[in-house]
Amino acid sequence: MTRKRISRRELLKLAGTGTVVAAAGGLGQGLLLPRNLWAAPPKIKGPVKIGYQAVLSGTLAGYGEFHKMGAVMAVEEINAKGGIAGQKVEMEFRDSTLKPDDAIKNARYFVDSWGADFLAGIDSSGQALALAPVVQQLDRVLMVTHAATEKLTEEMVFKKGIKQIFRICTPTYQDGNAAAFIAKDFPAVKWATVSPKYEYGFTCWKMFQDTLKKLKPGVPFVAESFAPFGTTDFRSHINTILDAKPDGLYSTEWAGELISMVKQGREAGLFEKVKHVIFPVGAAMDVLEGLGKDMPDNIWIAGRYFFLYPNSKTNGEWVARFRKRWNHYPAYVSETGYSSIYAFKAAVEKAGSKDTKAVIQVLEGMSMNSPAGNRVFRKEDHQAIYDVAWGKTKADPKYPFKIMGEMKVIPTTVCYNRPPFEGPGTAPPF
Amino acid sequence: MQSIVHVCLAGLSSGMFIWLVASGLTLIFGVLGVLNFAHGSFYMLGAYFSYTVLRHLFPNFWLGLLLGPLCVCAVGFVVERFFLRYVYRLALPYQLLLTFAFVLIFDNLVKIVWGAGSLTPPDIGFLAGSVPILGRKFPVYNLFIIGVGPLVAVALWLALERTWAGRIVRAASSDREMASAIGVRVPALYTGVFVFGIWLGALGGGLAVPYVGLLTPGMGETIIIEAFIVAVIGGLGSLKGAFLAALVLGVLSSFGTRYFPAFDMFLTFILMAAVLLVRPQGLFGDAR
Repeated sequence: MTRKRISRRELLKLAGTGTVVAAAGGLGQGLLLPRNLWAAPPKIKGPVKIGYQAVLSGTLAGYGEFHKMGAVMAVEEINAKGGIAGQKVEMEFRDSTLKPDDAIKNARYFVDSWGADFLAGIDSSGQALALAPVVQQLDRVLMVTHAATEKLTEEMVFKKGIKQIFRICTPTYQDGNAAAFIAKDFPAVKWATVSPKYEYGFTCWKMFQDTLKKLKPGVPFVAESFAPFGTTDFRSHINTILDAKPDGLYSTEWAGELISMVKQGREAGLFEKVKHVIFPVGAAMDVLEGLGKDMPDNIWIAGRYFFLYPNSKTNGEWVARFRKRWNHYPAYVSETGYSSIYAFKAAVEKAGSKDTKAVIQVLEGMSMNSPAGNRVFRKEDHQAIYDVAWGKTKADPKYPFKIMGEMKVIPTTVCYNRPPFEGPGTAPPF
Repeated sequence: MQSIVHVCLAGLSSGMFIWLVASGLTLIFGVLGVLNFAHGSFYMLGAYFSYTVLRHLFPNFWLGLLLGPLCVCAVGFVVERFFLRYVYRLALPYQLLLTFAFVLIFDNLVKIVWGAGSLTPPDIGFLAGSVPILGRKFPVYNLFIIGVGPLVAVALWLALERTWAGRIVRAASSDREMASAIGVRVPALYTGVFVFGIWLGALGGGLAVPYVGLLTPGMGETIIIEAFIVAVIGGLGSLKGAFLAALVLGVLSSFGTRYFPAFDMFLTFILMAAVLLVRPQGLFGDAR
């Protein structure tokens, strides 16, 4: 970073203008104009510095790039229009590597050495949970844009009171509970899964089963096969599923592993034998573009956001701008990355300060318009509430990949667990 | 029955990949005495170069498989001639540091050249599709892989045991000073063996393109661990051991995933620990 040195003369000039502006502002506020609506943006000191970390190395490096596209675009737009509360936004982007200790190192660097006011990013649930006590100690707001574990908001924020954490993307309820609402309407009666062999995969499959059992009592779950992180060969897992002869397959495999599984599943005739398939994170752009025509039709997919939903002006224009800037369709992490910067902007401008406590107060219950639609940060657990589309895969001549044909929305009011997260009536169906 | 046969076939085909990578690793260790940590990166480069030939130059699988690994050989030559050569005399940690540095460099180069996202290969033509085996579909390509593995093994054995060049390689491997004393140009031989070992790894990468169906930067890091395990179980430097260990490991982990899913992640490590307890030098390693 090069920092421009300010000469004495410039300083005097600046001070002069500052006084005039301040005086005019004071005059305006006091005499001429209604206070809140027209008041000059409240003054905050120095640039707004955001430390963003996402995975930029290894097999999932593509995700980090997509985070970056969204976040960088937001910073460019905001700075072109005068910044946050009149101050320039600065962002530094670091590789989170998916390892919890690296995430902690990055967060400490951002705050202690670089002077970050806000933190954002984080892909893995393990990282998010490890980081929670650290951001509490560093006392900076962390906006989680990808990690989905419900424990982050339920336990860290709600039970332990780590108020510095917010999540702008959907949690596991979307991938587990909501999928059960999709599945209940299928004629399928026997379900099986191939899912990731870590926390995320286990949690989602359990939520899916619990909710589906309540919605459709007596439904059997006949097989489960969990694939470790980094699996490239799904053939044994596919054999497990074929042996159990289910009619429904639920899988929270994601990114490259989902691509490999679908390709290898096709070769083994999996999608001819199993008619009803749900991929809760199948609507990720890397998966859709990676599979192209190899994605079978009539599979129910969703993501944290899909660029064709909602069908709103805000979203349509954003997707167009994004394509113009990056020559890509936005991935869901691009949307959450982009919106996280705007969430900081809205909160800082409303609070009139970068102070963590003041910003937390504003963010709690704050409602914001974003490409993914209207988002509200739930006051109790800091989880952003917004609706995400489910859809059935279908070919479309306008796109070189499968898109959602028939769409369905399971409202968050129906499928999200509710505070206090314990006891009857806190998990769907309500 | 149907299930057991298919689990077996899946294990055999995945074992063959590990063998292709482990064979180059073993050969290089056996002759040069270098543990080439970057071998997985050459596997990755093999995949990316083959992909590029297949997608952008000639839409022919065989040409991709021929040209891709050859390009990687050129990279391997540079690495041996200008870097690795200078650390032969140094302690093992220096060799590991140098080769690990290449892992990082290649991972990032791949990201710069081909992008950080995953790439999916085009169809490969006549080897695509599946055949029914006992009523369940099995990909033709995997059968092809199951055939290629032993073919490479036999070819390697013939080359080492039955040719003049093979005899020199074996001589240099058992005593480099003596070989050099009787007129073998050891440095040139080392370069040749290294490049050939790299070719084997890169061939594995080229073959993996349609098998995995996906290319990602960092794809070499997963396979290098398995290849190391195989090389250790088989006895470092023993090709026969590596072949057998790769087969056992492939089939065992396939059965583990299907029938003992709770243990599949450490079955291979249990196998390695068990072999090392009974035979610390590995299945076919010499007790030097």
